[in-house]
Amino acid sequence: MPETDDKSEDTATFECNICLDTAKNAVISMCGHLFCWPCLYQWLETRPQGQVCPVCKAGISRDKVIPLYGRGGSKTDPREKLPPRPQGHRTEPEADYAGPGGGHRYVFGDNPHFLSFGIGAFPFGFFASSFNLAGGAGNPMEHQHRDAAGPADHQMQDQLVSKLFLWLACIFLLWLLMA
Amino acid sequence: MANIAMQRIRREFKEVVRSDEQSIKLELQEDNVLSLTGYITGPEKTPYEGGRFHVQITIPETYPFNPPIVKFTTKLWHPNISSQTGVICLDILKDQWAAAMTLRIVLLSLQALLSAAEPDDPQDAVVANQYKTKHSLFQQTARFWAQTFAGAPGPLNPDFQKKIDKFLEVAPRADRHTAIQQLSNFDWNIDKAIEDVYKSD
Repeated sequence: MPETDDKSEDTATFECNICLDTAKNAVISMCGHLFCWPCLYQWLETRPQGQVCPVCKAGISRDKVIPLYGRGGSKTDPREKLPPRPQGHRTEPEADYAGPGGGHRYVFGDNPHFLSFGIGAFPFGFFASSFNLAGGAGNPMEHQHRDAAGPADHQMQDQLVSKLFLWLACIFLLWLLMA
Repeated sequence: MANIAMQRIRREFKEVVRSDEQSIKLELQEDNVLSLTGYITGPEKTPYEGGRFHVQITIPETYPFNPPIVKFTTKLWHPNISSQTGVICLDILKDQWAAAMTLRIVLLSLQALLSAAEPDDPQDAVVANQYKTKHSLFQQTARFWAQTFAGAPGPLNPDFQKKIDKFLEVAPRADRHTAIQQLSNFDWNIDKAIEDVYKSD
């Protein structure tokens, strides 16, 4: 057992509230309290009903914690028999290209007015969104997330989906012309 | 999993030692980390002022996911503490325990409990009843107990002492602790207290 006696205030800020050691596989509750995931998991297991934050007794649950990904950690992580930490949830930034970007959402809508608008604007919307992803400079969060969730995978998926939509739109257009 | 318990206790022990709070203290019992003695001083402006109360703390293997088992080893007259066994009725030692609480918080909570009793959620019904119906007698009794058992300063209530002596004359087999307990239970009514002793014999 490592004795970490003379800790500075700095590291104490990152101590797990349950084991009082530096948090490993850290997760943070919505109320902002830091825990090791194995510690918090055991606490939640101890009380299947009425789960509360061990610090402030706010409501807490497995789905309401956010994992913290620092730099360089969690590679040698022995997750033992415990289920892995819950996944992080990524909230998309608010789109600053209001009109055309939303185009492909309306492609398959019932409303013919939106339909024609959507198809007309689609290629532009596709380029705008793929440019935004590839440009990335104004979006550092995106890079961090990719580090954790497997590099480039995310981007490739996005492109695939965009292409799929493009093809579907073309087929739909053809069908419209034929009919 | 006892490992996490031991590690926590070591850290908490250091925390209490370092915090340098005068009113609480923690000691290991014979190098066994999972068994400790805590001390709290009676809070000011209460009948317990100036007394020093010992609690025995047993750490379960599942600590800190389950609360420590705490009871007073110093005899105490309080609605939420058994006057016979020292068992404590305190929510954070039961269902309101949370894993982030520490022994320091437990000791400070016990101190707070001495300042603010909860007679409607009693551990000792006799004491709680006296607290509610004869509050001034309750305070005198609690003070007498603190002076007798916890070393609180000040002159002892002469009336109570007289009654104890008389009780011991009539019931020579009883010891002083029993006399105090019996008399306190019966609101210092010596006839009823003695009657009860003979009834149970």
